[in-house]
Amino acid sequence: MLELSNSVLVALLVALISSAVLLIVQKNSANVIPGYKVSNRDPTFIIAGPTYSGKTGLFNLLTTDGHKPTVMSQEPNVAEDYMLPSTAKSFRFKLMEFPGHFKLRYRLYDTLKDSTSLKGLIFVVDSTVDPQKLTETAEFLYEILGLTERFPDGVDILIACNKSESFSSRPPLKIRDALEKEIGKIIERRVKSLASVKKADTTSGVEDEDGAPPQSVEFQSNHEFRFDALDGNVDAMDGSVLKGQIEKWECWIDERAVN
Amino acid sequence: MIDQFVVFTLKGQVLYHFNPQGRKLAENHINKVISHLITSPSKKEESGKYLLFKLDNFAAACFIGKQPPLVYLVTYAAQDLELNQEAEQVLDLGFGLWDSLKLNNSVLQNLSGKGVKNRHNYTWILEGCDSNLNKFDEYFRAKFSVIKPGKAKGKPSVEGNASKGSSLTGSKNNKKTVQNAKTRKWGRDGIIEETNVGDSSALDFSELNEEARASSLAEVDKEAFGTFTEKGEFLINEIDELLNKNKAEASKKGQSTGGAFGFLQKHLLGNKKITKEDLSKVLEKFRQKLISKNVAPEAADHLTSRVSQDLVGSTTANWTSVELTARDSLQKSLTEILTPGVSVDLLREIQQKTGKNGKKTPYIFSVVGVNGVGKSTNLSKLAFWLLQNNLRVLVVACDTFRSGAVEQLRVHVENLAQLTDEAHIRGSKNRRGKSGNDHIELFEAGYGGSDLVTKIAKQAIKYASDQNFDVVLMDTAGRRHNDPTLMSPLKPFADQAKPDKIIMVGEALVGTDSVQQAKNFNAAFGKERNLDFFIISKCDTVGEMLGTMVNMVYATGIPILFVGVGQTYTDLRTLSVEWAVDTLMS
Ligand SMILES: Nc1nc2c(ncn2[C@@H]2O[C@H](COP(=O)(O)OP(=O)(O)O)[C@@H](O)[C@H]2O)c(=O)[nH]1
Ligand SMILES: Nc1nc2c(ncn2[C@@H]2O[C@H](COP(=O)(O)OP(=O)(O)O)[C@@H](O)[C@H]2O)c(=O)[nH]1
Ligand SMILES: [Mg+2]
Ligand SMILES: [Mg+2]
Repeated sequence: MLELSNSVLVALLVALISSAVLLIVQKNSANVIPGYKVSNRDPTFIIAGPTYSGKTGLFNLLTTDGHKPTVMSQEPNVAEDYMLPSTAKSFRFKLMEFPGHFKLRYRLYDTLKDSTSLKGLIFVVDSTVDPQKLTETAEFLYEILGLTERFPDGVDILIACNKSESFSSRPPLKIRDALEKEIGKIIERRVKSLASVKKADTTSGVEDEDGAPPQSVEFQSNHEFRFDALDGNVDAMDGSVLKGQIEKWECWIDERAVN
Repeated sequence: MIDQFVVFTLKGQVLYHFNPQGRKLAENHINKVISHLITSPSKKEESGKYLLFKLDNFAAACFIGKQPPLVYLVTYAAQDLELNQEAEQVLDLGFGLWDSLKLNNSVLQNLSGKGVKNRHNYTWILEGCDSNLNKFDEYFRAKFSVIKPGKAKGKPSVEGNASKGSSLTGSKNNKKTVQNAKTRKWGRDGIIEETNVGDSSALDFSELNEEARASSLAEVDKEAFGTFTEKGEFLINEIDELLNKNKAEASKKGQSTGGAFGFLQKHLLGNKKITKEDLSKVLEKFRQKLISKNVAPEAADHLTSRVSQDLVGSTTANWTSVELTARDSLQKSLTEILTPGVSVDLLREIQQKTGKNGKKTPYIFSVVGVNGVGKSTNLSKLAFWLLQNNLRVLVVACDTFRSGAVEQLRVHVENLAQLTDEAHIRGSKNRRGKSGNDHIELFEAGYGGSDLVTKIAKQAIKYASDQNFDVVLMDTAGRRHNDPTLMSPLKPFADQAKPDKIIMVGEALVGTDSVQQAKNFNAAFGKERNLDFFIISKCDTVGEMLGTMVNMVYATGIPILFVGVGQTYTDLRTLSVEWAVDTLMS
């Protein structure tokens, strides 16, 4: 019985493969491995940032208009065909929110590499953190910029300075300046760091293909780093997910959603 | 008593939380557990179907559901037998009830996008669940009140009930009451999934459950539960019935779709619910592949079991075979295991410690590892890089055992002195009368026992800060990781020298033994101190067989920072996780 069904199957397979191959080829050609690395062509807004800054809270607020309790995320949140009702023409886009944990950041980086229509990236920071201690946050933003600046016009970035209702919150411009300065220092250090290992380092005879585009943009260290010099705009605005005060951020999204 | 019971998604939404004291959600404890789950996946203990954790000042037990992916977590004061048991009972009850009240169904529906959409065109995960969630809360509290420690723990409560019963109803009835109380106890455990690998006694009692239900309907054991109000008792019965019914249903379904369609789904169409059987062949293939790349069998087992944990019960994407899905998941596991859990920026740390204000304190590295793995060579490569960054480096010869070790290090220092200053004459002394020049210098004190090592280390650090060195690099003697007499001096050495970073060098060539090497070296510094990172040397000699990297990180959770790719001073590179994963998967 099983053998029989298997032989019928072979015939079925042949018929199906011919029709399916097209689909599969189409789906897999961009990437050898499908799944989480499938390329993303939808207009997309991304929420990213270090852990505990309020990203998941912001995602919940944007998608449900309410504040809900959260714990550390292990997986991205995705809203397909998301709508901001205020948007003209009720434009729909994909809203993705990524975990901030070091070990999980590759999910964000993979998506940044594989997306073709990034409308904007909301980089959520906890504005109550001492600007002196923003080095790791700056490092994260630096990694993101390396990927978003690959696009001809870059990707606009909103530094969403969350928790503004807190008495220890710092003003957005101060945070932006601190991040800018820190990134400048990081670039200087990166130039001095040991290069990353490549295939050619360990496989004699193999030259790294010169044709392959670099994985991320390298920033020059010979002049001071300025956000304004980037292709994408970098704005900083305050808000509070807890109090539902995120109008400025919504406007920022609106402006980018329509065009 | 437990601290709290929480249901949350992998995406970070808290769906339900309960605190017996009525306190608010203690998210810091939950976040610690999650962080632990993310960073050290190999260290969690599994007891039957639950993961048990012992963290700094509390314990946790959790169950990770697959369809839908939800985490049920209990945190409590400490891991002792009684509390562990109570935690497990709470988990049993929690996810049993969650499923019984069809909350899983609703959540799945909402996640698949079939639920009601709001004005943002979005379906909240608990859309339409309000009434069932309220019921869940009510039922959960009701049942929780009867699994308080002592009562739930069988014996004392059975005896208590029995004596009470006997005074009221005589000996014959007494016996029955005892039995009822006992079976009720198992009823409180809620359902046990058909996949459950837990103790068989639980399964044995499931039959008695039926009996208990029948007798409870007959209302013969009121006295045994005399502490409850009529309503409370009635509610408990209702809940038990619900739980049992759900359990019976669960064991009925679960047959996988076999035959031709199943085959097609598995290999071509996708959209297939993955079972253990589907995976076993594929995973065995991956396992062999990993082992062929020098991954130790236990590390390979760990990785494939993570894939299994990740996938069993989930559904493949459209047009994606089980094999591709598994490959994807394996790639994810490898990436996560190799990615450091913290940011390490050595130049920044050195800058900070040696900072301008006040007196300089040098930044101290010490390098440990087995004989011949490349400790001295890679320490010299590190020195070369630091010198290029205008840092002043003191190399300390703490290998006082192997004859020739000091001389070998002197050769490196001479080479590096020449590389920083072409005018340097080999063998000449610098202005302090030492080997090297003004940028790099060798600190040596001959050969001797382990007392000498600690003495040298302390002297060297004092010397380095007096002479304004930025960095101290301490070479240590190679030692066999399974020889306690050689390993035991490491702890006092580290306690005295207080290195900022302890680096273990492991060679890519070593293979399976690397698991034990890494474990033993990491353990050698005591409970309070771990290795900080690995340098994996000789990666240029192994081709694609990079398994040692996985082994060492798997064994310890300590990240790899650099890899050695040759015998010259420039052959040190920062690890690229992407490179390592691609090489291992190819
Ligand atoms: N005070 C304050 N706390 C907030 C705000 N937004 C989020 N939080 C809290 O910050 C913590 C982390 O939030 P979460 O969204 O999980 O952060 P994520 O790790 O970035 O996803 C939670 O305890 C939130 O309640 C805010 O605007 N103000
Ligand atoms: N091919 C290659 N050889 C290395 C590498 N690192 C160290 N070696 C060689 O390994 C041998 C032992 O190195 P050594 O530093 O003396 O090891 P130690 O006993 O741990 O100090 C020397 O011949 C080194 O040249 C590497 O990354 N690649
Ligand atoms: Mg989150
Ligand atoms: Mg040596």
